[in-house]
Parts: sequence; C-alpha cells; structure tokens
Amino acid sequence: MAAATTEKTTTGFFFEGETGRNTRGLLRLIILCTIAAAAIASRLFSVIRFESIIHEFDPWFNFRATKYLVQHGFYPFWNWFDDRTWHPLGRVTGGTLYPGLMVTSGVIWKLLRFLTLPVDIRDICVFMAPAFSGLTAFASYLFTSEMSDSPSAGLLAAIFMGIAPGYISRSVAGSYDNEAIAIFLLVFTFYLWIKAVKEGSIMWGALTALFYGYMVSAWGGYVFITNLLPLHAFVLICMGRFSPRLYVSYTTWYALGTLASMQIPFVGFLPIRSSDHMAALGVFGLIQLVGFAEYVRAQMPSKQFQTLLRAMVLVVFALAFGFLVLLTVSGTIAPWSGRFYSLWDTGYAKIHIPIIASVSEHQPTAWPAFFFDLNMLIWLFPAGVYMCFRSLKDEQVFVVIYAVLASYFAGVMVRLMLTLTPVVCVAAAMALSQILDTFLVASTPDEGDANKKPQANGTPAGANGSVDIKQQFANLADGLRSTKAPLVGIYSYLSKSMITGAITAYLLLFVLHCTWVTSNAYSSPSVVLASRLPDGSQHIIDDYREAYYWLRQNTAPNAKVMSWWDYGYQIGGMADRPTLVDNNTWNNTHIATVGKAMSSREEVSYPIMRQHEVDYVLVVFGALLGYSGDDINKFLWMVRIAEGIWPDEVKERDYFTSRGEYRVDDEATPTMRNSLMYKMSYYKYNDLFPAGQAQDRVRGSRLPAAGPELSTLEEAFTSENWIIRIYKVKDLDNLGRSHQEAVAFEKGNKRKKGGAGKRRGPRVLRVD
Amino acid sequence: MRLDRWALMGLIQLSWADSNLTERSRDILPSTFKPPQHFRNVNLVRKINLEKSYPRETINVVIENIDAAPQSEYYLPFEQGTLGRVGGLVVKDKKDPDNIGFHAEIVEIDPYGATEYYKITLPTALPSKQQQTLSLTYWTLAALSPVPFQIGQQDKQYIRYPFSAYAPSAYTTLKQKTKLKLPSTDVPDATSLPKELNADGKADPEKQGTSYTYGPYNEVPAGAVQEVSVRYEFTHPLTHGSLLERDISVSHWGNNLATEERHWLTNRAAVLKNHFSRVTYAQSAYYNPPTSALKEMRFPLTVGSVDAYFVDDIGNVSTSRFRSNLREANLELRPRYPLFGGWNYKFQVGWNGDLKNFVRRVKGTGETYVLKAPFFEGPKQIEGVEYERIVTRVILPEGAT
Repeated sequence: MAAATTEKTTTGFFFEGETGRNTRGLLRLIILCTIAAAAIASRLFSVIRFESIIHEFDPWFNFRATKYLVQHGFYPFWNWFDDRTWHPLGRVTGGTLYPGLMVTSGVIWKLLRFLTLPVDIRDICVFMAPAFSGLTAFASYLFTSEMSDSPSAGLLAAIFMGIAPGYISRSVAGSYDNEAIAIFLLVFTFYLWIKAVKEGSIMWGALTALFYGYMVSAWGGYVFITNLLPLHAFVLICMGRFSPRLYVSYTTWYALGTLASMQIPFVGFLPIRSSDHMAALGVFGLIQLVGFAEYVRAQMPSKQFQTLLRAMVLVVFALAFGFLVLLTVSGTIAPWSGRFYSLWDTGYAKIHIPIIASVSEHQPTAWPAFFFDLNMLIWLFPAGVYMCFRSLKDEQVFVVIYAVLASYFAGVMVRLMLTLTPVVCVAAAMALSQILDTFLVASTPDEGDANKKPQANGTPAGANGSVDIKQQFANLADGLRSTKAPLVGIYSYLSKSMITGAITAYLLLFVLHCTWVTSNAYSSPSVVLASRLPDGSQHIIDDYREAYYWLRQNTAPNAKVMSWWDYGYQIGGMADRPTLVDNNTWNNTHIATVGKAMSSREEVSYPIMRQHEVDYVLVVFGALLGYSGDDINKFLWMVRIAEGIWPDEVKERDYFTSRGEYRVDDEATPTMRNSLMYKMSYYKYNDLFPAGQAQDRVRGSRLPAAGPELSTLEEAFTSENWIIRIYKVKDLDNLGRSHQEAVAFEKGNKRKKGGAGKRRGPRVLRVD
Repeated sequence: MRLDRWALMGLIQLSWADSNLTERSRDILPSTFKPPQHFRNVNLVRKINLEKSYPRETINVVIENIDAAPQSEYYLPFEQGTLGRVGGLVVKDKKDPDNIGFHAEIVEIDPYGATEYYKITLPTALPSKQQQTLSLTYWTLAALSPVPFQIGQQDKQYIRYPFSAYAPSAYTTLKQKTKLKLPSTDVPDATSLPKELNADGKADPEKQGTSYTYGPYNEVPAGAVQEVSVRYEFTHPLTHGSLLERDISVSHWGNNLATEERHWLTNRAAVLKNHFSRVTYAQSAYYNPPTSALKEMRFPLTVGSVDAYFVDDIGNVSTSRFRSNLREANLELRPRYPLFGGWNYKFQVGWNGDLKNFVRRVKGTGETYVLKAPFFEGPKQIEGVEYERIVTRVILPEGAT
C-alpha cells in the first residue's frame, strides 16, 4: 500500500506531486504483473506434480475440438458434423458448441507459429486457463478501481481474484474449459459496462458489446450478463436515475451485443426467441419509452405530464406483457429452459430432469463450501456490499445487484460459485481497503484541521492525487445519515498497529488457505490418480489412460464403445473411438437407452447393443482400490434416467432391498444382480480373493460367494487396478443358439456332465 | 558454422526391408536372368540361429572360380518376397578378416521372377581356379510365425520356421550341411528327410541338445530346394517395429544433443485364444513365468544422457525408470499394458546429451565440426527386436551448411 507521509522525507520526492504519480503508476504496474505471475504460478500444481495433461471430462472434448480446428481450419470446424459421437445419430458439433475457447487457442497457436515458436497445441490448451486468470486479475483491478476511490482496492481485488480458490477450482492448468476464458470476459465486460454507464460514451458501449459477443461465443453463462445488465439499467430507472448516459450505453450494448451474439450458430435466434433473453429486450423497450417520456417532460407542463405518463406506462406494460404471454403460448418464444427452472426450484431437476440433477456440480452448495472457496472474503463480502450503500452511485448499484443475484445462484448450484467469486473479491477488496486506508496512516490527524475540512477520514492525502475529497463528500451528503457525521481518524498507535497486524495475519492466513485448497482439492487431473507408497514416494494410478490407450491401439478404428456418458468425452479424446453417448447430453433418450442397457438383464441388453452396433462396453469399477467414483455408485442415475423413458421396464424400486437399502452383497435384489452393470462390474472379481472372501472396498460389503456369469459379453481388457473394465460384445452364435444356451453347452462339455438337457429354456432372442 | 555429419553405423552395413525397395541404384534384369556360372561352392556350412525372435543365417562357403577369366561378382539368391525382408547382410572373408571392400547390391528381376539376388562384388577379382572363403550373414524379418496361432494366456508358444535344407545358392554346391541352433530342447516337429539324401547315410536331421544338423549332402545343383521346417518352443515376444523414427537434433543454444525416437511396435507372437484376463495376469505376476507378452524394455543409452522421458499419444507414461551413473545410463520402460500377441503400442522416448561428447571441431579448419552420434539405439531385449523401417533424421542448427 502506498504509505505516504505528510512530512517531507527523502521518499517524498517519489511519492508526491508529478513524479510521485509516475512512480506510483510504475509501482502499480509492477504489482499487477506480480499478481498475474502469482495467479499463474498457483495454478501450476498439477503440471508440476503430474504432467502437462488435460483434466477431467469436458476439457477433453474442448481439446479434441481444438485439435480438429487446428488441423482442418476454421470453416470445416464451423461446419463440423461429428459422426464419432452419439453413434448412430452423430452430432452437429460445429453448431452446438461455444467456439470461443477453441478459436482463442487456435489463434494463439497460429500467432506463436507465426513468431516461429512451434508450441504443441496441447500445451497451449493446458496453460490457457492460468494465462487468462492473470488477465482476470487485471480486469478485476480495473473493475474495482471504477468502484472505489481508494488506490488499494483495485490491487487487493486483483490479488484476491488471482488466488481465490472459488475461481482456481475452474482454472488450474489443464482445466481447459469454457470457464477458463469466460470469467475474464465476464469481469472485463462488467468493467466496460460500468465505464460505459459512467461516461455515457458509445465507444465504451460498443466495446462492452464486443466483449459480450466474445463472452457469448465462449460460455453458456453469458445469460448471466444478458440478464444482469438489463436489471442494472432497470433498477437505475426505478431509482429515478435515468440519464442520457444510461440510454446511450444500454442501447449501444443491446443493439450491437445482440447482433454479435446471434453470429454464434449455437445461439442463433435465441436472443429474440427464448425467454431467458426477454428481460434484455423488455428493458430495451422500456428505456426507449422512458427516454421518450423524458423528452416529453421537457416540453410539457408537469401536471399534464403526470397524467399522460401514468396512462402510458399502464397501457404499454399491459400491451407488452400480453404480447409476451401470447408469443410464449403460441410457441414463438421458447419457454424457460429446464436448467433455468432448476435455478429457482432446487427440487425441480430431481423430479423432471434427472440428467441435470445427476451431475454433481449442479447440486446445491453446502455452507462450508463458501468458506472453503472464499475463506475470509466471505465475511468481508457483506461489509463491502455495505460500503457500496455508503456512496450509492450507478456503479455501486451494479455491485449490489450483482452481489444479491450471484449469492442466490451460488447457493443453488455449486458450479455457480464461479460467478459469485468476482463480486466477492471486489466487495471484499473495497471493505478491506477502507479499513487499511483508515488504519494504515502513520501520522496523527490534526483535530483543528479535521473540524475545518472533514476530510481526515484516514484517506492519505497524497495517496491518490486525483481524488477530489470535497466532491466525494458532496456525494456522500445525499446518502446515508451516518456518513454526514464528520470522520476524524485514529489517534492511537496501538489500535493502528493492532488492526494492521490483525489484517496482515488474516491476509497471510488467506494466502495459506488458498494455497492449501488449490494444492489439495483442485489440482488433481482426475484422469490420473495419485497415491503414496509405504516409503512416502508418489505412486501414480494410471488406469484410465492404460485402458483408453489399449482401446486406441488394439481395437478397430471404428469399434463403437458403449459406456456411461461421463466417459464419452474421454473415450473420444484419449481412445479415439466412436461412442454412444457423451457429456454433451443433448439427447436424453439416447442416454436413457444406454441406461436401460446397463440396468437390464442380458437378454434385454443384448438386442439393444446389437441394434446400436456396440463392439465394446466400458465400465468403471472401483471396488478393488476403493475408488468411490465408479459406475456402481452412479448406477441409480442410470436407472432413474432409463425409468424416465421406460417406466414400465425399468423401476428404481427393484434395485433397492425390501428395507430400502442399496446393496451389492448377498442381499442385493435379483434385479440388481442380474443387471448388466452389476455383472460387468463383479465378473471374475471373486477369483482375486480366497473363496467367499471377496470384498467391495467402496461399498464396504462382502460379495456373494458365487460371482456373476456373463453370456453375451466377454472380458476383453481390465486395467491394472481394475478401475476400467472393457467387455467385448459377442457376435451372434454360429449355430443359431442363444448365448445362454451356448455358454451352458460349453460348460456342460467341460464338466463332462450331461447337464445340457436340463436347462430351463431361456427367453428366445430375436435380433433384427 | 559448418557441421559435417557422420553416422556411426555399427559394425554392419544395415539395409532395411521397405527402404530397399526405394533405393536408387539397381540393375533391373529380365526374369530369364541366371547368374553366370563362374563359381562353384566347394564346401558350404550354413548355421541358422533361432535363439532370437528373428532368424540369423550364416553361410560359410569356399568358392572356386571355374571360369577362365578372373571373376568378382558372386550372386546370392533369395526367394521372391524374402529379399525385401532381409534385415541386413554382412559379407566377410573368413580366412582374412582384414580383407575389406566387399560390396553388396540388390539386383532386381522384373516382378514375375521367382528368385531375386544380392550381387556381391569381391574387393579383388578371384583368379581362375583359385578359392576364397566367404562368410555371409543375414537376418530375415517377420520370418517366424507362431503355430498354433492362438494360445492361452499362460500357454507355451511354439514357433515354426520353414526353410530349405539345401542352402540357397546360385551355383553348384559340392558339399554342404545346415546347422540349426534352437533356443530349447522342446521341439515337437522337425521334418525328417530320408537317409538316402544324406551323404553319410545317417538319420537326418541329427540331434544334439539344442542343435540340429541337416546334411551333409553331396553335390547339389544350383537353385535346388529341399523344404523342411522345425517347430520349437519360444515363449518370448516376437517384437516387431513397423516403424522407428529417430530425430537427432543438434542445438548450439542449449549446447545439447537431443534424441527423440518414435516407435510403432507390434507383438507378432501368438494371439490370445480367449481375451486378456487380468486375474490370470495378476496371479502369474508373482512367479513371473516366461510369456509371449512384451512387458518391459530396456534402452541402454550413451553414458551421460540426461532428461529421459517416455510418453505416448495421450501423455506421460509413469512406469519408467531411468538409471544414470558414470558407467551406464539405462532407460527401463514398461508399456501401459503388457503387449500380448497381435497388440500394438506406439510411444516416444527421448533424452538429451551434452553436445561436447558428440561434436568436435576439425583441427585447423576453423568452423568445421564433426558430429559422431549413434545411428540407432533401440531397446535391448534378450529375445531381440526387429525393425521393418528406420528413419533417422539429423537436425543441424539453423544456418549450418
């Protein structure tokens, strides 16, 4: 913090007057660069511990799409129809993705090649998120500097943004997801918007629209901006703060931004057809009316104007609302999307759209998560919002609205913690900078001086040369009553040093916490698992890649792999094989089909697999290692999603015991034990243990003495720690028997029993 | 900066299967071509070594010029298709190892001919009625095939090697025999030839431990073939590298010599009858029986190599160890999964070396340097590895001429 003194010291030359401003500017630049470096460095844990690898699930698709873009060029990418996913439907990938991320990395790749730096596209993708987090820190500096007059607020916000775990969770190296660039765009668009509202300039409004367009191309969360900016404008109008500045900036943003957003094929005509975007359109209409009313008011006597205004508002509102309802009912405007409903009613998804509810990041946030992700910022946040009320200018209104909305959303979905983090950082920085500015002044305030000019509120006089304190107080006078009382300052060195010491300790603890959380919770690639050997050295469990690479090397290039949708992107990216379903989840029925195949008996599943030309089935099985994220634990979601489409054939109740327990041991229900998923998971697992000793280390239960038998599938590959098991779907029997008969016959032959004749006739299969 | 490059070629002049077919200098001969009968083989001993995953044949032959004029072109015949799979040919003078200057060259017959030839040019023409002892050694790739083709995961693997009991020759051979060196005594099948063919009238082949001897035989005309085959136990992987790309880049900035190899491996061993069973594999890991699966590879690198890495298409493979000390630098790799018969694995390895160990300045020439780097450093396996095609690129610093 700039600790300027009123006394003439040797450092006075550098911190006061014209040279002082330059020095401070330089210092600020250096600090910002350091912050960016810190933000990048703290995201590199996983690269240092493991390797430069793409993480988790969605990033694998983005990576694959980026490689496609780099290989084939922009237009083929734009028109990309991917027949290697969603077999046999395929996916119009080019028209159903947000291309911003891929295009950005493609441009960086091209640029670096132009500069004769041949960097592997994978490395660009891996380091994309950290690089952009550096930019995000810079953007939040700009944003906060618009909010607060304190010179330290911006820098604090930048460092908070740089290392807050809530943001790191989605931007560590390798987490090549849309959010990697979207959060930067979000903050920067907000900054430009604030700038536009402040200046009332078309240039800033157009820039806002430009970055809004970029944001639309990068992340589905752009709807947040689409609704937040109109809300801000609306609230300002309601507060009677309509001004030509607002009019200019809003109309510029809306017109250009909507056009820009419509350039993205996936968005297309949504901005004028979907309910999610109607608020922006409505406010656009409203602001025209208000603008017109303002104009009329300037021309008319006020009495007549009142009457006219009232009538006009009523008529217009009734007309617009009726029109909207009409359009929604007639189907021209799409009703609110399911994901949107689940934002308001947390139970909605669980009942109506199990596929949304099945994703862990769509669950409501637990309270400790707020502290975990934001640490001390979470209690500075309300204070910061309160600070906004103290000088409630247009931009502070924005922060207040943003804070309220984002807090609500973050409470509804874990994933939306990401949108809350920027405003928390900004608000916390404003609160903290206020405290620091008050207490971090070395000189004792002069009482006489304070009486004359109530300026000694602790802001160092020389800290920011451009601050016009008088004006600030003029603004404050209209605000809350408490601000009218003159602030004097802190006299005692004891309280100064105590508060400063406490804040320093909190900040240090914050850094410690952030580093710890980043290192322990958010830096695992989840493709690679790490464990410790008895001697303390790191042991890497690489079963995913082992199995994926086996698929890639040893199966036909067009062999179709069926797995639960979670692994679709990874199979596409690492194994390079066509999949039935993937994380895109655009076709619920197709996913339910796979769910049905997994949760039914073999006799039912086999025809489904034949019809979908499935060659291999891949399951994730954690029982040997105690890896809890396996398919048996996800199994109920498959059942639920399948039940949503075939309520008569798949029933969730059948998978629970009579006492309502979900079990895999002797007491498991027949439906459970006959399901394909159960059989594939535990097939031959018993052989690893002494008879009757087979243990499931995830469910903590002992398995039945006799393991399941498979007749329509055969085990093709199992990874070292059994995490991935791959089965090959048998071809039809050569002699026209059913697979059950064939297997029974083989068995009978081996045992030299004539038992083949005693078979009960299994259901006859017919495959068309 | 000028760098001359030398590739250290090992002790043999290697040539590779596919690359043979694209070589520039070759004589194309009509299919009716028969090598001129200037020579005859007075005595011929052929040794076939089958201890590795590729056969190595050594023919020691005493040749005699039966022409009036001195002759220097000796032809070595191969059956159609075999010549493209010869992985290397070494010609030496058995009596006088210092006599160097032999030149081997492929002569191509038009595609319909049944026989192809290596033309071996002697360093000095052999005068009439004179004799010389040649030692011809060659390796054949992809020549072994597992029989039966499918085996269980823990079964023994048997390999069949078909060959001719008469050594291939373009000339009349007066006396010859063929010795087989097998890896084990477990030989279920070896073709027996009638005693009448044998010069000594003894049982043919004659067995002695792991070595089998066919012959001796009396005079055999040029191009005579007597097909026989042996089937023997060989429970080792038949590692076949379909392609090896090797980049040696010299960096004067980093002052290092970076080597990167990209391997495309296939195991030609018998494929699994049933699919891979992890249970069986995990259980057998305790007593480690011989197996036809490729589990591990060992790369002995140049001493002083550092920064070794082992990656494949989807990232780092954590199951590798690099041991480096003053005397050796070993890179031990385990593929992501054991390579059973018919399975493929593609991977890259690379390492750096200090440039001063590989490059020296030529005395008195100022800016001329000599690079001496290994032409090939593959994995060293007990059972051997064969490569179908090797591409080595040397990347010099920008501006080098």
